[in-house]
Amino acid sequence: MSDCIAQFVGVGHEYKKGAEIFKGATFNIEPGSFHFLTGPSGSGKSSLLKMLYLGLKPTWGSIRLFGEDPLKIKPSLLPLLRQQVGVVFQEFKLLDHLKVIDNVSLPLRVRGVEAKRSYRDARELLHWVGLGDSLQSYPATLSGGQQQRVAIARAVITRPQLLLADEPTGNVDDDMAIKLLHLFEELNKMGTAIVIATHNQRLLDRSPYPQLTIRRGTIVRTPKRSLP
Amino acid sequence: MNNSQDLPLKNDIAARFLPLIIGSMVYVGTLCFVFTLFILSATHLWENQLRTQITLEVPTSSLQAQVLQVLGKTPGIQQAAAVPKKEVETLLQSLLGTTLPVDLQALPVLIEISLNGRESLDVPMLEARLKTISPQIQLVDHRPWQTQVESLINASVVLASTLTFLVLLTALVTTTFATRTSLLIHRQVIEVLHLIGATNGYIARQFQVHALKQGLIASAIGAAFAFLTFLGITTLLEKAGLPSTSLSSFSLQAFCVFALSPFVTGFFMMLSARLTVMRGLHL
Repeated sequence: MSDCIAQFVGVGHEYKKGAEIFKGATFNIEPGSFHFLTGPSGSGKSSLLKMLYLGLKPTWGSIRLFGEDPLKIKPSLLPLLRQQVGVVFQEFKLLDHLKVIDNVSLPLRVRGVEAKRSYRDARELLHWVGLGDSLQSYPATLSGGQQQRVAIARAVITRPQLLLADEPTGNVDDDMAIKLLHLFEELNKMGTAIVIATHNQRLLDRSPYPQLTIRRGTIVRTPKRSLP
Repeated sequence: MNNSQDLPLKNDIAARFLPLIIGSMVYVGTLCFVFTLFILSATHLWENQLRTQITLEVPTSSLQAQVLQVLGKTPGIQQAAAVPKKEVETLLQSLLGTTLPVDLQALPVLIEISLNGRESLDVPMLEARLKTISPQIQLVDHRPWQTQVESLINASVVLASTLTFLVLLTALVTTTFATRTSLLIHRQVIEVLHLIGATNGYIARQFQVHALKQGLIASAIGAAFAFLTFLGITTLLEKAGLPSTSLSSFSLQAFCVFALSPFVTGFFMMLSARLTVMRGLHL
């Protein structure tokens, strides 16, 4: 099990106000896997993703990410773990003072990739998600759907080992949702493990991938199914 | 395209007044430091004169030759010469003005004695021999109050150095507070940077490059104004009669201080910003 990308054993979390969101979540994310994370509103999908991208510590239980215990490793090594994870945040978290191309190329610059290459990759990716005309725009001037695509481009530009997406199709129409799903699938074919938190029932119905459903504080895994 | 500023530090309200504060600090700091150098340079000259010169007051010019003969035979004296009447007149006019009539003939003759520094001068013996020529001959030895002058000079140097240090410290503390405020203002952007894998060092670099730029520009302006003030003061001192030789040797040192202060300030601001960010992000 040590070759798992993420390993959750009996993980629980309780916010300071006493609201308990998990009792004992146990599951694994294997390399190259594709999962949907579902559950009713407020069940803790975003919190679970936060734990996966090391934005939230569990109150109990243990987490291993890429074979490491994030609570025990040296703080200086945390960025190395995070660099292997791409995240599409529900609220996008784009940097408003940076142009679209700067936002998308940021993860590469952070990793020390030379500016010329990082801007070339960002330009290609933005063309692919249909934002080739908005390279020099600022996020605030874009629609919700366009901002979402920028956020997705920023998350996938580094070809991470694990991609986490929180409602990535929440602000786009069905056609764009399918296109984005194809993008995730392409990335998955190249070996990236994907976890998508979503409410989009149509997306769930037309996809064969296994689902992790949060139900009464625990994780229920629905296996991969064949589509009709 | 953006290469170095992933944080919008330029628009910080907290840092808006930092260049003004740093510029003013550098202005005061460099002037204090240059003042310290000036005191040290000028006093070195004065100390030499105090250590190697004695003045004699001879009541009448008729005794001058006799006195010079005695001085010529006294060990430890390198040279002795009467101060020309014209010089005495100029000296008195600078103290009393030109309106008061001065009878130069009624004034004592001043003889300046330069000591050779190799042999010690036996002052009591010299005084005794001169009294045999005339009991009214007076020997003015500056050396006994040299220690007091040195104490005064040392006190001035300590005061000026302390002021320079305090100014630098204030500049660093101001930078630290401005950086801390910036960290709070931009915590959301920093959180995003962390989540996409930025190291603390990467984030700190953004702050330190900004602090370095601010430090260089602000302190260059402060140092330029200080240099102009320095030029003004030295011109006034020269007009007031301070020998230009005492200024010329130290002018080069002063110029170096003005030229280097922006780099020194920029470096310390950069260091202060980095340490503050690294510490702030580690907590």
